[in-house]
Amino acid sequence: MSTKRPYDPYDSFKRYSEMWEKQINDFLFLLSNNNEFVKMSKVGTEAHSRYLEAFKKNQEALAGVLNIPTKNDLANVASLTIQTEEKIESLEAHIWDLQDSVKSQSKEIETVVEVSKEIIKLTKQLKTELVKTKKELADSKDLQSELQEIKFELNKLNNLKDEIEILKSHVEKDNQKEPDLTGAGSTK
Amino acid sequence: MAVETPFKDLFPPLESEKELKRWKHVFQLLNEPEPKIGHTPRTDVWKKNKSVLWYYPAKQKKYGIPLFFVYSLFNKPYILDIAPKASVIEGLTNRGYDVYLLDWGTPGYEDKNMGLDTYIQKYLRTAVKRAIRHSGAEEITLVGYCLGGTIASIYASIAEEPIKNLIVATVPIDFTAFVGPDKWAEGLRNGDFHVDRLIDVYGNLPSSYVEAMFRAVSAPIYFSHYTMLLNRANDPRYVDKWRRMNKWTTDQVPFAGEAFRQLTNDLFKGNKLVKGELMIGNKNADLKNIKSNLFVISSSNDNLVLEQQSLPIMDLVASEDKTYKLVEAGHVSLALTGLFAVVVDEWASTRSNPL
Repeated sequence: MSTKRPYDPYDSFKRYSEMWEKQINDFLFLLSNNNEFVKMSKVGTEAHSRYLEAFKKNQEALAGVLNIPTKNDLANVASLTIQTEEKIESLEAHIWDLQDSVKSQSKEIETVVEVSKEIIKLTKQLKTELVKTKKELADSKDLQSELQEIKFELNKLNNLKDEIEILKSHVEKDNQKEPDLTGAGSTK
Repeated sequence: MAVETPFKDLFPPLESEKELKRWKHVFQLLNEPEPKIGHTPRTDVWKKNKSVLWYYPAKQKKYGIPLFFVYSLFNKPYILDIAPKASVIEGLTNRGYDVYLLDWGTPGYEDKNMGLDTYIQKYLRTAVKRAIRHSGAEEITLVGYCLGGTIASIYASIAEEPIKNLIVATVPIDFTAFVGPDKWAEGLRNGDFHVDRLIDVYGNLPSSYVEAMFRAVSAPIYFSHYTMLLNRANDPRYVDKWRRMNKWTTDQVPFAGEAFRQLTNDLFKGNKLVKGELMIGNKNADLKNIKSNLFVISSSNDNLVLEQQSLPIMDLVASEDKTYKLVEAGHVSLALTGLFAVVVDEWASTRSNPL
C-alpha cells in the first residue's frame, strides 16, 4: 500500500491564492493609506455628487414638463402611508390601554361579586340562626311560664304545709289538755 | 524483463472519484439557482413600514424571559437562521427560549430621513413593547449583534421598558479604534472627507456602496473564497455552507441616509456614545444609565470589529452583573456556525427565570 498522499493541486492553488490576495491587499493598503488618497477620494465623491445633483435637477425639470411623478413624489406618498400606519399604531396602543383598564375593572367587579356572595352567604346563615334563636326564645318563654306555674303551685303547697303545721300544733295542743282533765276528775 | 515507466513517481496519483465529485459540485453551483433559506417555524407579531417582528416559539419552553434579537442595519438578519442545525435561533428555541427577531427590512428612498432615533424610538421600542405584551413576560433579554449591539445598547440606555439582560456580540462602542487604514479614519475625523453630500444626493447609501465599504476596510481584493471552494468542492456540506454564506455576504441592504449620517458624524467622528453625549430624540443616551445584567462577546478573529471597540462598554455601564467573553471565532462565523446560541445559553440560562 502506498503511503504517498494523493496529488491535490487545488490545495496548493488555494494557498497561493491566499498569499496573492494578502499581498495585493497589503499593497493596496499601503497605496491608499495616505492623506493624498483621502483628498483625492473627496474630490472624486464631490465631482460624482455634483454630476448626480445636476442629473437629478434636469430629471425633475423634465418630469415637471411631462407631468409625470418623480421618485420624490412617490416617496412623499409612501411617507403618507407610513404616517397612517403610525396613527393606526397609536390607536392600537390606545385600544390596548382601554383593554387593560377594562380587564382590571372586570377583575375588580369579579372581586366585588365574590365579596357580595360571601356577604349573602353570611346573611343567610345569620337569618337561619335568628329563626333558631326566636324559636329558642319562645321555648324559653313557655318554660318560664311553666316555671311560674310551678312556683305558684309550690307557694300553694307551702301555704298548705303551713296550714297543716298550724293544724298539727292545734292537734298537739288538744292532745296535751285532755289527760289533765281525766286525772283531775278521778281525784275528786 | 520488467518495463519501467519513466517519471512514474514524479507526480502523485490524482483521486479520480474525488475530482469527479469536485467538478460535479462546481458545475451544479454554477447552474443551480441560489439556495433557499429555510426558517425555523415563526410567525409575524407586528409589521410597520418594511420592518417585521418575528416570533420563534420555544420547542419546549424552559425560561420565562424571552430573547429579543436586534440585528445590524448593514445586512439582512437571516444569518441568525441560515441553515438547519447551524441556526442560532433554532439552537436557542431548542434550548427552551422564546425568541423574537426584529427584521429592519430594506429601506427605500422614502426612508431616507430615518435616523438612529427613528429606528430606536419608533421601531425598536415599539417592537420590544409588542414582544413583552405578546409573550406575557414581565421582563425581556435584548440580544444585539454587530451594529445591532450598538443600537441595543443605545436603546437600553434610554429604555423605560423592563430589560433584564443585555447581550451584545462583536459590538462597536468605541469608534477610536478602526480596522481600516488609519489615514482614512483621520481624514474622516478631520473633515478631509465627508459623506453628507453623497447622502443628500443618493438619499440612502446604496447596497453596492455598503458592500464596497466593507470590502475596502477588510480586503479590497477578495477571491480566496473561490479557491477555497474549489479546494473543498468535493464535500457537499461545505459547498452548501459556502453557497449560503456567499448568498448572505452579497445580499446587502441600502443604509438609510440619515442613520448613516448619524453613524458617521455622531458615532464615528464624535465618538459620542463613549463620551455620553449622544442624543436620541430629547433623551441623552448615556451608557451609565444601563443597569441590566450585561454580557459582552468578542470574536478573536474578527476582521471588522476589534476587541478594543467592544471592551469599553464594560466600564461605561452601571450594571452590577457584567461578564465579558472572548470567543475563538470570526465576525460572521460566530453566528454562521451556531456557536452564538451555545454562548448565549451558557450565560442567559441562569438569568432568564427558569420555569
